[in-house]
Amino acid sequence: MNHKKEQLLLDVQDLHVSVDGTEILRGLNLQVKAGEIHAIMGPNGSGKSTLANVLAGREEYQVDRGTVRYNGLDLLELSADERACEGIFMAFQYPVSIPGISTAYFLRSALNSIRRYRDESEVDPIDFLEMIRSKIELVGIDEKLLQRAVNDGFSGGEKKRNEILQMAVLDPKLAILDETDSGLDIDALRIVAEGVNSLHADDRAIIVVTHYQRLLDHIVPDHVHVLSEGKIVRSGDKTLAQELERVGYTGLGVDDARART
Amino acid sequence: MATEAIDFWTDTVRATAQRLNEAEDGLRERREGALQRFQANGFPGRKDEEWRYTPLKKLANGPCHQLLPGSTRIPVQADLPIEAVARVVLVNGEFQEQLSDFSSLPAGIKVASLASLRKQDSGAIVDFLSSSFPQQNHPFESLSDAMLDDGIWIDVTPECRDEVATIHILHAFDGSRGAGSAHVTGTIRCAPGTRLRVIEEVRSEGEVLGNIRWGVALGEDATIDRVRVIRPGCDTIFHGTRVVQQAGSRFHDLMVCSGSNLVRNEILTIHSGPRCHVELLGIYTARGIEVVDNHTTIEHAAEDCTSREIYRGVLSQKGRGIFTGMIHVHPDAQRIDAKQSNDTILLSRDAEMNSRPRLEIYADDVKCTHGATVGELDEEALFYLRSRGIQLDEARRMLVRAFASEVISGLDPEELREFIVAELEQSIPEGGECAP
Repeated sequence: MNHKKEQLLLDVQDLHVSVDGTEILRGLNLQVKAGEIHAIMGPNGSGKSTLANVLAGREEYQVDRGTVRYNGLDLLELSADERACEGIFMAFQYPVSIPGISTAYFLRSALNSIRRYRDESEVDPIDFLEMIRSKIELVGIDEKLLQRAVNDGFSGGEKKRNEILQMAVLDPKLAILDETDSGLDIDALRIVAEGVNSLHADDRAIIVVTHYQRLLDHIVPDHVHVLSEGKIVRSGDKTLAQELERVGYTGLGVDDARART
Repeated sequence: MATEAIDFWTDTVRATAQRLNEAEDGLRERREGALQRFQANGFPGRKDEEWRYTPLKKLANGPCHQLLPGSTRIPVQADLPIEAVARVVLVNGEFQEQLSDFSSLPAGIKVASLASLRKQDSGAIVDFLSSSFPQQNHPFESLSDAMLDDGIWIDVTPECRDEVATIHILHAFDGSRGAGSAHVTGTIRCAPGTRLRVIEEVRSEGEVLGNIRWGVALGEDATIDRVRVIRPGCDTIFHGTRVVQQAGSRFHDLMVCSGSNLVRNEILTIHSGPRCHVELLGIYTARGIEVVDNHTTIEHAAEDCTSREIYRGVLSQKGRGIFTGMIHVHPDAQRIDAKQSNDTILLSRDAEMNSRPRLEIYADDVKCTHGATVGELDEEALFYLRSRGIQLDEARRMLVRAFASEVISGLDPEELREFIVAELEQSIPEGGECAP
């Protein structure tokens, strides 16, 4: 048992999290190994996005109980930027627009912050452009987008592709995609999924948080977990997602928390 | 506020005016009128709407009433990354011939010191001053008028219609050997169709009042691009500009200010012919108990004119900002398009912004928009940057830089832009709050 735990990249034990005094996660357990793709599914209000944001280090979330080990570290002791430097990446459900900072400058600053943290040399603007060209092709965005301000005036699809571009550049060990499929049409969804699949690697784990099964047609998970009222209530392989698609959350005995209240 | 403290000032002003009047330069009447106005009114207090938030008490009661000696030679090093065809240096309000350089100035541009012109051709000076600076009840204007002595005269003649010359003007106020004030009057006259770029730099050392005013006359279709940098470490600076624009002329101004105790920036521009444009931009920081006060008036007195105004401030600790922006659209000044915005980032709970947009519109076919925002750094944006590995301090700097960049994105060359942004960044303390 012990030696198995050592291989875990992420180990969440009995996690309780509240926001403004309301308990959202109520004893969540999750183990993720390098190389795996996990899907976290659940109805609205089940706590999916909370889990993603707590792992990324958002400070409004209060951890009341439980532990999170990541790559041998106590994750909850690290700030959001330290987590990123240690290899955690969250693709935002709603990427933030930042007028006045170009996408290229933002990406290079992020990359160099992480490289400094790891005692690696910084990348100059010319080498950076060279390096980013191949990543741009991966997510199918226009190079001109790099000169535009971060997410400013981007379409929904451009924002999500920009998230995957950042993931490709920052090369995380653990990538968390928070409802990356929301607001995407089928073509954009396919491109985003292809980008994610191309980043699938033995030394990288991916957690896909989603309400719908459709993203999982393109990104095939090793494990599927159903989240309800702040706990994982069912875990299985990819067939669980297909079952969910057939019978719905209520068919699994899981209610939509918001519909209920 | 005709208090006792004002007597010190009045004594200095009277003695100085008397001394200057001995020259019989035709300005006696102007000086004496101004002395009387200053004597009667002194410095305004909080009851005066135009000065309500501007703390002048320390200046009124302080030792700056003495005139700074004009003869000091403080080291004047040029570190602003700019290329100019001429450099004009004024130390304590006195034109410095040896430190200035006109050798590359195009023949069509005349630059001279006001003191030398007063001796040669006082009639022309008197006329131009009367049209540029109406005698009015204004504390700093009155001081300038009563002690009118030196300054700078720039005349852009029709000969240089095809050139855009850049003139660098440096004001240094040196109070290191004792507190005091200096008063500078500058004038710019641009012939129809000409263009001029002015980069004006203000520095001070020690306890001083640097009192600078400009009268600008823009002929038809003439353009002035002006950048003003109030360098960090200045004490009290008044900077006033009055612009009269003829048809089709353009006046562009960018004011940059960081790390100075009290800066009052006043601009009045009058669109007296159709199709004029004015652009007033400002970016500033205030920390400690620093105060930056921007006070603008745009007189849209003719039709088809446009104005664009953006002032942005980053306030930390107990820093204060004041913005008063009047847009006055006269009757029959139809099809005016005026945009004004004033945005502030407060990095501390003790920082304060007083923003007063004023619009008076007496024409009916007019587009006028104004907006004021005051807020903290965007928490969502901060988290987004941090979630990508950028540390909190750097993330904050990036957001401040982004906030400033929207004001100065058009500034050339890039080195100057970077220099200015770096100086702004350096004047923002880490964390923003006051020390506990």
